[in-house]
Amino acid sequence: MIELKQLTKHFEKFTALKNVDLKIETGTAFGLLGSNGAGKSTIMRLLSGIYRADSGEALIDGENVYDNVAVKQRVFFIDDETVQFSGYTLNKLKEYYKSYYPQFSDEIFDKLRRKLSLPLDKKIGNFSKGMKRQAIVIIGLASCTDYLFLDETFDGLDPTMRVIVKSMLVDAILDRKVTAIISSHNLREINELCDHAALLHNGRLVLSQDIDSLKGEFHKMQLVFRPDENGKEVEYTRDDIESIGIDVLHFEKTQRVYRIVAKGDEETLKAAFAAKRPLVLDVIPLTLEEVFIYELEVLGYDCSEINN
Amino acid sequence: MFTIDLMSRTPIYEQIYMKIIELIIRGELNENDQIPSVRNLAKETGVNPNTVSKAYQELERNGVIHSLPGRGSFISKPNEQILKEFIFNDFDNVVKEAIVNGVDSQQLKERIDIIERKQRGEKK
Repeated sequence: MIELKQLTKHFEKFTALKNVDLKIETGTAFGLLGSNGAGKSTIMRLLSGIYRADSGEALIDGENVYDNVAVKQRVFFIDDETVQFSGYTLNKLKEYYKSYYPQFSDEIFDKLRRKLSLPLDKKIGNFSKGMKRQAIVIIGLASCTDYLFLDETFDGLDPTMRVIVKSMLVDAILDRKVTAIISSHNLREINELCDHAALLHNGRLVLSQDIDSLKGEFHKMQLVFRPDENGKEVEYTRDDIESIGIDVLHFEKTQRVYRIVAKGDEETLKAAFAAKRPLVLDVIPLTLEEVFIYELEVLGYDCSEINN
Repeated sequence: MFTIDLMSRTPIYEQIYMKIIELIIRGELNENDQIPSVRNLAKETGVNPNTVSKAYQELERNGVIHSLPGRGSFISKPNEQILKEFIFNDFDNVVKEAIVNGVDSQQLKERIDIIERKQRGEKK
């Protein structure tokens, strides 16, 4: 299990992470979402022992990762910067990682390398960008660690490679209870691959939840209210809606139609509006992408200013 | 056999749950038929195995499928209640929609009678 406790990390004046508390159960595929600079990579680096926390803890099975070789051998972090050994051949790179990860599987390595026809004796420096990435991904998978961190790895893989990595992850989760943390800008990918997800913004944790239950907890509503006895239109403001106990994320009104995005399950939201006897009340759950957009909008990170 | 709609607002595990019941109703899956293992279905659809497993657990809990240790998961004897609930779920939604749009229950009943007569007529 992974536990972050009040985890904080600064880079000079920049706060990369601020008091983040997060638990990731063993055997989960956990998606990390967030805009650029939200703190996703920082979390992975702290959990890989590359960075040392300024305060708080990054724990893997109860142990601090930093300077802890026994724990670090159980963790593999795949990121673009991993391949710094441009003078190495793939074979040498494999031997290097193999000396570090005792459970390294030559069988998995050979199988994947052959499938991708990556040359063993060519220098990594002469590999194309995609091949470099493939090389580190197959070494990561072959290292057979209990924890695997993929930092935007999927965003740079071709479709065939994606299928291969996904299928390997399925086996790893079922056979070895691997815990994977995956960051991506592709929400569809996170939705498909992960069972849990967390959203970060400016180094803070916004939410962390089971993806399937997340979908039932945010709704988009379309409302039209009845005119009053005199046939006059009744006007409601965002404050009015919030005052009946609705957690509004987004409020918009055009003519008589209100578009409101709110937190809460369908029944609760419907019940809250029942007293106002709306003429039309459509309630539909948000997609993961919409949850992401509206949650960040509340925090002041949205695209509306650019669009207008 | 399975397609998962990632852009759908319906949770993935619910989609898998519904799909199995739908296949039973359509007669494509019968009692004692084996369904794909969690592993195979996860790989085939690209969906997280924990999510697939959650759907299977729910199906098993409701008696739709049963698992035999070391052999896999199989369709159980159809449970009328569950199948009816599934059908009524769609029905209820359409009726709600109709009521909102001003169709009254008398009109709905007449409609049902017409459909029933047609169905019977075709079968004879």
